[in-house]
Order: sequence, then C-alpha cells, then structure tokens
Amino acid sequence: MIINHPLLGPRDAAEFIYLGDASLIDRPDWQDEGADEKFYEYGYLRDNPAGEHQELWYHEQGDRSWLVVTRNTLTHEISKVELARDVARARGRSK
Amino acid sequence: MLDFKLVSAPPLAGYDQSFEGVTLRAPADLAIVSLALPLGGEAAAEKSVKTAYGAALPGIGKSALSKDGSARLVRLSPDAAFVIFTHATPDAEPHVAKKIKGAAYTTDQTDVWTGLEIAGPRARTALERICPIDLHPDSFDVGDAARTTMEHLGTLIIRTDEDTFLLMSGSSSAKSFLHAVETSIQNTA
Amino acid sequence: MTQVNRLTGGQVDRSQVLNFTFNGKAMQGHPGDTLASALLANGQRLVGRSFKYHRPRGILTSGSEEPNALVQLRSGAHQEPNTRATVAELFDGLSATSQNHRGSLEHDLMAVTDLMSPFLSAGFYYKTFMWPKAFWEKLYEPAIRKSAGLGRLSMQDDPDSYDKGFLHCDLLVIGAGPAGLSAALAAGRSGARVILADEDFAPGGRLNAETLEVDGMSGADWAAAAIAELNAMDNVRLMTRTTVYGAYDHGIYGALERCTDHLPTSAGKPRQVLWRIYSKRAVLAAGSTERPIAFGNNDRPGIMLAGAVRTYVNRYGVTPGQQVAVFTNNDDGWRTAADLAAKGIAVTNIIDTRDAPAVCEVPGARHIRDAAVMDTVGRKGLKAVTLTSGQVIPTDCLAVSGGWNPNVHLTCHQRGRPTWREDINAFVPGGDLPPGMAVAGAANGSLTLAAALSEGRNVANAQIKELGFTPSRKPAPKAEDEPSNGMAIWHIPESTKRAWVDQQNDVTVKDIKQSYREGFRSVEHLKRYTTLGMATDQGKTANIPALAIMANCTGKSLQDTGTTIFRPPYTPIPMGALAGRARGQDFRPFRLTPSHDWASKNGATFVEVGNWLRAQWFARPGEQGWRDSVDREALMTRGSVGICDVTTLGKIDIQGKDAADFLNVVYANAFGKLPVGKVRYGLMLREDGICYDDGTTARMSENHFVMTTTTANAVLVFRRMEFVRQCLCPDMDVHLISTTDGWAQFAVAGPNARNLLRKVVDEAHDLSNEGFPFMACGEVTVCGGTPARLFRISFSGELAYEVAVPARYGNSMIEALMKAGEEYNAVPYGTEALGVMRIEKGHAAGNELNGQTTALNLGLNGMVSSKKDCIGKTLAARPEMNRDDAIRLVGFRPVDRSVKLIAGSHFITKGDDATMANDQGWMTSVAYSPSLGHSIGLGFIKRGHERKGEIVRAVSPIHETEMEVEIVSAHFIDPEGERLRA
Repeated sequence: MIINHPLLGPRDAAEFIYLGDASLIDRPDWQDEGADEKFYEYGYLRDNPAGEHQELWYHEQGDRSWLVVTRNTLTHEISKVELARDVARARGRSK
Repeated sequence: MLDFKLVSAPPLAGYDQSFEGVTLRAPADLAIVSLALPLGGEAAAEKSVKTAYGAALPGIGKSALSKDGSARLVRLSPDAAFVIFTHATPDAEPHVAKKIKGAAYTTDQTDVWTGLEIAGPRARTALERICPIDLHPDSFDVGDAARTTMEHLGTLIIRTDEDTFLLMSGSSSAKSFLHAVETSIQNTA
Repeated sequence: MTQVNRLTGGQVDRSQVLNFTFNGKAMQGHPGDTLASALLANGQRLVGRSFKYHRPRGILTSGSEEPNALVQLRSGAHQEPNTRATVAELFDGLSATSQNHRGSLEHDLMAVTDLMSPFLSAGFYYKTFMWPKAFWEKLYEPAIRKSAGLGRLSMQDDPDSYDKGFLHCDLLVIGAGPAGLSAALAAGRSGARVILADEDFAPGGRLNAETLEVDGMSGADWAAAAIAELNAMDNVRLMTRTTVYGAYDHGIYGALERCTDHLPTSAGKPRQVLWRIYSKRAVLAAGSTERPIAFGNNDRPGIMLAGAVRTYVNRYGVTPGQQVAVFTNNDDGWRTAADLAAKGIAVTNIIDTRDAPAVCEVPGARHIRDAAVMDTVGRKGLKAVTLTSGQVIPTDCLAVSGGWNPNVHLTCHQRGRPTWREDINAFVPGGDLPPGMAVAGAANGSLTLAAALSEGRNVANAQIKELGFTPSRKPAPKAEDEPSNGMAIWHIPESTKRAWVDQQNDVTVKDIKQSYREGFRSVEHLKRYTTLGMATDQGKTANIPALAIMANCTGKSLQDTGTTIFRPPYTPIPMGALAGRARGQDFRPFRLTPSHDWASKNGATFVEVGNWLRAQWFARPGEQGWRDSVDREALMTRGSVGICDVTTLGKIDIQGKDAADFLNVVYANAFGKLPVGKVRYGLMLREDGICYDDGTTARMSENHFVMTTTTANAVLVFRRMEFVRQCLCPDMDVHLISTTDGWAQFAVAGPNARNLLRKVVDEAHDLSNEGFPFMACGEVTVCGGTPARLFRISFSGELAYEVAVPARYGNSMIEALMKAGEEYNAVPYGTEALGVMRIEKGHAAGNELNGQTTALNLGLNGMVSSKKDCIGKTLAARPEMNRDDAIRLVGFRPVDRSVKLIAGSHFITKGDDATMANDQGWMTSVAYSPSLGHSIGLGFIKRGHERKGEIVRAVSPIHETEMEVEIVSAHFIDPEGERLRA
C-alpha cells in the first residue's frame, strides 16, 4: 500500500503504523454528563463499514505525523489523506 | 577526585572505506541539534534561524546550507527541523540555542544518531537494495531529505551532492546499520 | 549419444559446448539452451515421474507453465527440487536429476500405483482414510507422502544469499514479447521512466520462437534491435530473468530477479533479488499460454504443445522428434507443421478437428480433416497415436494445439474476474483491473502479431499520456496478422483411456466428471475436490480445459461456468527470496548499549531485550552458574555499590509552554507542581483504565521535562504521546523528541553510591543529601567538564543515582565509574541482579504491568489524580474494576524457607479445593533473595493488603507443585525507604 502523505507525497505503508477508526480523535470530556457511557462507547464501539473508512495512521518511520486516511475497505482505494492535527482542530479539539 | 578524562568514542568513528564506484565513511564530529518551532511562535523562530544562519528554514523534506556553508538546516515536519554541522565538543545544543537566541526549543541529537556518507556513481545502485525512497536524480534533488526505514532501521537520508547521500540512523544500532549499507554495496558490486 | 536431435539455426551458440549431466549421464548443450532444450537435443524424452500415479512424463511446454519436466538441480546443500527444466538455463557443469521414483527413472518401483488408479480417483483420500481418525496422522499420511510427491529438499541450510530491493518507474511493462517491446519502446521514446521485465533470459517472447517478420526483419532480429534501442535509453531499465509475480495495492508489483541461477556458482553474490516495484502505471504484456487437448494417454513423453515444438525447433535448433504429427483444433497448429517442414523435419500428418481446408501448404504432410487422436502407444516415449477412426499413425512426437489462453493472472490479483470471449474461445481480462494497469497483446486476447505490436504501443501511449508525457509519433512496428481461427474442442469424448487435464496433479477428465456427479460443480469446488490447478504450475495449462469439461457436464456456457481467479505468485518464489537478508544474525538489527564493548570484555552474558542486547550478569572466574554471579552482584550492590547500564530505558525530551499540562493528560498522576530540579514517578493508564507503563519524569526547567519509559514500551509510549499531542490536544505548545540513543545512562546504587559519584562528578556540584536529595535531578559535569545529567532515583531500593553522559562517552564512563569504585569494591550488575533487587524492593515491572492490572491492583490508586483528566481516568472508575475483593500486589514467602517459589502459581485459600472457582490470584515474579537467603515472590491476591500474615497455598498444576506461602509486604528490603533517602 501507498499513503499519499499530504506533506511528503506518496510513501510506502511500511513506514506507517495503523491505529484504527479516526473517531478516536473524538475523545469525550470527562466532566460531561454520562461521561462513563461516552467513554465506554469511545473506547469499545467501532463502526465496521464495507466501504469508505476514516482511520488513523502514524508515520512512525517518517515525520511522526498522525494522519487521517480515508480508505475504502473493499478496494483499498485511498481517497483522502489529512493531517490528524488539522482534523482534530476542525472537530473542535482546540482548547 | 578521580583523574580520568572521558574518551569520546562514537560507534562508527573513523570508518572510511572505498569500494568500486562507492565510498562509505562516517563523517567526523557530526553534530545534530533539533529545533521545535513553538506553537504560535513559528514565524519568529524562522526569522531567528534565518538571521542566525543566513538561510531560510527550507520546506518540509528539504534541506539548505547556511550562508557560510558550515551548517545544514533540514526541515522534517511543520514544526521540527535539524541543524547538522561539524562540532567536536559536546555542547552543540547550547551553541545552537544561543545562535538562534532561544527562538525554538532545542534538543541535542548528536549522540542519538550515527552518520554515514555514501558517495560515488554506484551509490544509488547500492541504496536500491535498502531504501524505499525514489532516489532518481530527477525525483530526489540535491538537498532533498527524507525519513524512512532501511533494513528495519529508521533512517534520515539527505542528498548532499550529485552522487552523495548522508544517511543518519540510530546510534545504538550503528553496527547493524553499517552492515546493512556495506552488504548493499557488496551485493551490487 | 551426442545431440542427436540438434538442428542448424536457432539462438544457441554452437561455438561453445556446455557439459552437463542428467541422472549422472553426461550430455552436452550450448549457451542459449535451457535444460529442456538440451535434454531434447540429446534425445532424452523421459524426464520424470508424475505426482500421484508415477506415470512416465516428458516435456510438455517450453516455458514457465511446464507441469511435467520438474527436476532437481545441483547437488549437496545447493540442491533445489521442483525446478522446471523448460526455464532452467544450461550452464557448464549443471547436474540435474529426475524426481519421484523409487529405483531408476526408467524402472520406477512405485509405477504400480498407476495400476491402482481405479481406486485413486478424485476424493479418494477424503473417502478412504476417514477412519479410524488417529490412523491419518500415523499411518495413512506418512505412507501417502512417501509414495506421492515431487522432489526432495537437501535438508541442509540454504548456502546461498538473497536480497531485496526497491525500484520506481512511471511505467512498468510486464513481458518483453512483441506487445511489451512495442509498449516499452513507445513509453521510452517519450522520456517516461520505464521498467521492462521479462522472465526469460532472452527478451523477445514468442518473437524468438516464431518465423514471423517485423519491420521486414526476422522477429528475433527485430527484438534484438528493439532491445538495443531500449538499452541505449537512460530512462529504461531492462530486467531479464525477472518474473513480475504479483500485482499489489496502489501500483506496487513484486518481482523476482534470478541473478546467478544460470551460473555454476553465485560467487558470494545474492542468488536472487526480490524487488518491490513502485509504478505509476503498468502495461501487462504477459502473452498467452497454449493449452492441450485431453485424449486417452495424452501424457506420454513426446506429446507436446505445438507452440513448444516449434519453439524448440526455431529458437533452440532442436527437434523434439524425427517423425512428427500435429493434432490441432486451430490455425496455429499448422504453423508448427509449416515451420518444421521448412527445417526439413518429417511432418507426417496434420490431424485437424475441423472439417476445413488446409490452412497452408505443408510439404509431405497428410491433412486429416474432422479427426481426432483418442489414444496413444509408448509408455516411456510416444510410438504411435490412434485416431477416433481407428487409424494408427506411428510418430515419436505429437504436437498438440488446443488454442491459446491469455495470461490474465496478474489482472486477477485484486479480485478482477476474467470474461469469456467466444470468438477466441478464451478468457480475457475483465474490466476491473488493478488500478493503473492496462493489458496489451496476447494477454489481452489480441493473439496475432500485428495486433499485439500496435496494441502495445497504443496502450503504453495512453498510459504515459495520463502521466503528462507526450507520446512519440512513431508508428507501431509493421507485421502481418497470422491466421488464428480455431474451434472450441477440449477433450475427445471417444477416448476410453484416461485423459489427463492437470498433468502435474494427475487429474483426469474422469475425475472432473466424477466431481460433477458427486455434486462438486462450481469451479471453486471442482478445484478443491480434484486438486485441479493446485500444483506448483497452478494449472496454467489445465484450468481452462477443465472448466470447459465441467461446462460440458453441466450444459452451461463457459461464461456462466466462470473461472477461478489467481493469487500471487505467478510462478513459485523460493522461501529464501522471501526471507531476503533476514536470516540468522541478520534476522533483525541489534541495538547495543554504549558500554557494550566494556561489558563484553568483562565477562558479560547478554540477553535480548527487544532489539537491545543487555548485560544479564558478569561471570567471574570460579562461579559455577548464573545464580552465583547474580547473587554476588546483588549482595555487593547492597553491601557497597553496584553499577548497571540502564541506557535502554526510553528517554523522551518534552518541551513547550504546555508541557506540564500535557504530562497531566498522559500520566495518571499530576505533574503541574513538580518543581524544577525534581523527578517524579509517573504512571500511565490505557484509555480502558488498565495500567500501561511507568517511569520517571524530571523537570529540567519550567518548560522542559525529560521522561523515561520502560525499555519495552519506549516506542509505544512515544507513539501514544504523539497521538495525544496531535489528535487530542492539537493546540498545546508541546514538542517531543526521542533521546534514548543519545545518553549513556548508568545506575549507581548502594550505600557507597554517593562516595563513588563524588569522585566522578565535578566538585562544583553539591551531592550532599541536603543539596541533592532523593528525587533530585540536575545538569552536572563529570570527569573535568563533560556535560552530564544526574537523577537521584532508585529502582533497587538503595541509595542510588542515575548518571547520564552523551552516548559517545558511555564506554569510557563505565570505566571511570569502575575505577572510582575500586576502593569500594564496586561491581557491575546485569539485568538479573536488577530484577532480584526490584523484587526485593517490591517494584512492579512487566510481569505486574501485564495489560490486565489496574492502579488499584498495584496499590497505586492513590496516584490517580482526582483533580484533572487523564487518559484512562473515567474508565478506571468502573465499579467492576474497583471491587472490594480486587486483587492486590503483595509479597509472598515460602513457609518452608528452603522451598523455591514458582512464578505463575495460583493462590488458594487454605482448606479450599484447587479449582478455578477458588482462585485467589497468582504469583507474578519470583527470585532467590541473596540478602534474605530464601525465595521471595510478588503476586496479586484478592484483598491482599488486608491479609498480611495469612498462609495460603500456591498451586501450579503445570509444574504439579503446591506449597504454603505467607502473605507479606511487597517491600522485603527497607520497607520504610530509609536507605534510598540516606
């Protein structure tokens, strides 16, 4: 596989480590009401789509950036690669 | 007080070998200091680096020589860069911190890495066996830099000249790294 | 016997003679020969015995699709079984032997299995060897394995070396036949970076085997000119002897280059190189494979594919027979007849299944229309064939053509399904090709020369145009399309004798019909029930005829019957090539600590810890075993002072205005108020509340921390911290960089630790207990000015420090420490003594932080700060993880002090049965404590903190042991911590 790194261009997947669903960015607030339930869902429940999937990859043997890769689980086609930091900010994780 | 002077012995110190069409050597006194650009202070840090080195911090995946040619600035990611230069004493980090007036967070990386310079017309042929990065002269310009993995070892590769590459890998695995590069040269001889 | 079948012409170098042996018999050939062509030149038709029935077999093909002519090459450790004689290049001194026979090839004692064939049909094993069940492994399988099979392994280590590599191109052209050469020329002329790979040693594909003309030259001459032009282009890399064996995701292709297989020895160079090719686009020009027709006894040596027969004649200057007959259902078979006749070889009959006029004039040959071969004679070599009419034709070589199958294999590697083309009676690539791939020439069903040449050019031009190159205007090479009509006929139903479909796995028409009758009718079932296409040739010549026979049975069309698809590799890849350099010492890299050289010289035994080699203990003369050394090291450390290289602990440099806030997120305990110049123990949880890692973090300045992690988790912790930094806290000003390799770090432990260090640390630095108390840290200089870091932390429980110097000084530093320690009898200690002392002190390590235990279990629940969030905080609060009867970490000692505790033992309350239901916990770590003089252990037991003094049973059903142990404090040594604060 090749991941087209948004800053570095196409790189072999061997340079990356896979983590999983990009919903891991959406960590609940510990002081929210029902935080325990939210953390349970955050920690244990994942969608398993046959098709487009947003997932986290870490460029460990590269620039150490976390990426959000949109990959089709049926074809392995990668349609989008973003810096996870940008995605996190867009999802309101700025403090 | 013990009368004992510590002896500096980097893992590949003094290594220098010639093969047909390739030379391989460990550059002496290679010092590396990392720069981390403070969040919100990136512009100030870049300005300070430019003032200190007479060269702008290059784009990601590129390197640039300082105006006097004594230091190479390598941009690794949006907020991280290396300054690579020749410096014998173990005070590279304060040296750089002073030079850039503390405008970036600095960490001494000198002893984290081991450097090998591979040069010559057959350098690319040898590196083909371990380097997944495309080193074709049109794809990897002089000054280009990439972090990747070679024989399971994280490696920073910088094209420093027409047929010359500086390879940097972890100092604890220096012997395995040297073996990987030497084997590649021998296998392609 | 010297090359009785050698002709003139062809592409072999007759000026040189190569000597080789087959089953010990001396033979000769020439450069340019394959082993198969040389065997045929020497009149050797019988080459091996079949897999199941031990039928005598010869050479069917002239390429990598060969099912029969499998031989063992070379001898001794270099021996390699199951190599195809049709692709093995001849070299001087080559020795080859035949496979799968007991006794000689000519008189195989196992040939009796052929007589048993009525009992050995498809599904035989499944039905017969069911009962009794135990007999399969002990009796049936060994017996079958002995009688069936292919070649033998040498049973020695592979003496050759292998390598891997990475290549990049704009366009990868797979196959250097007419379509591939035309494609590579077109792309090369445009300036695109091209890799052209071909499995053969002589590029040109069928051009070398045919007498067809291109651009007014012989095909072979045109191919040579094309190769010369390509070789002159800097942007083209021509790789011969290179099989592109797999099409992987995103334009990555796997290729195997055979570098030295054609040489007598590899002379220390890698024998083969496994390439990973990164391509932006690819053209598959893999050509096509001829298929046989199934008729009675169609597997005799001397029965060959028609295209192969003319390959041997045209390319190698060898005739496979003296009196040749052709059996064909299409026009192409006629070219074999014509080419052979032109060389003066007697072609006696052309048997065509079609009731149609002659395709061309073949002098001396009788054309038999609307006819078919139904049986043959000649057990070890063909003597005659019998037609359905009953006519018997004497012949020593029958050239059979059942039409050509496009080599669609690589188009299927990402689950593409070929589609049936009725007009050419063949499957062609379907629409769903691997992204970036296009197919040209015979592989695409364009089976004639002119079509292949122009399609190669056009497809390549279209591919590189998409990449932004301007295609050259040069037209495709000129050639004529040869006649290529054919008839769909797959087997001869009049045959009463066994008719082979898959010759390598001995699958017959009868087996396929039986599979149909027994209900295994889908192609996937057919394959698995009969083992059709599952041999090393993957059914390249067998699959399509078999599918057609099944389609006949079911009455379905071939399109509806469908085909199985293909996986990599296209041809077999040696395990050695897949392993590459990763063998023995080179299996993985080693990491050495900075004092490794010193340790080697001072008696260290090393242990692998991840990739690290760490000193496990330092043996001294006279010590009887490791325990002697370890006990001594621990005692001497506790008695005076010991030194241990702890460089392998992960070190992470953390800087930024928000560094303290960041640490509060990743650590369970709070770091915001840690003063500059102090170290704190830190505990990390996983998000599910389980303990993850621990270590110490030192605050070097307001915004600068230095963290240590466990050796094992160094990489994982760094990765997780980057996750927190980038994904969870994207706007914190915090920066991480690993400095693990940068610092040589030594623990100096024991009552004389300060005294020793006082001689090494420069005098300006205050080391007094007041000036540098427990958990202090700071930058110092050592040995007259060398920068260093000093941390007053203790894993052993003794007065202890860790001192770090730039790694380049590491080997020198341990010498300095040892020299300074001479007067205190300082001892170096390894990981075993380290482990003993941490158990004595009750510190948790990997055995306790095992991915199942919580802070509460470890007795560290007080550390989880209630004032702030941290990873794992919320889920750690789940009630089930905080039960009153949760297991707790405590110490254990045997009631009978002479007994040795056993790690992994489970605790049972006295009086209870040793059952799962009564399980109270388990022993995690044990050691012999030289200080206490008996075995001690750490472990988890329910409510352990409330049960000190209780005697329980420690039961290990695995070791069949049971003993009484007393629950005690985990702190066996200095429970009040007086020593480390001294």
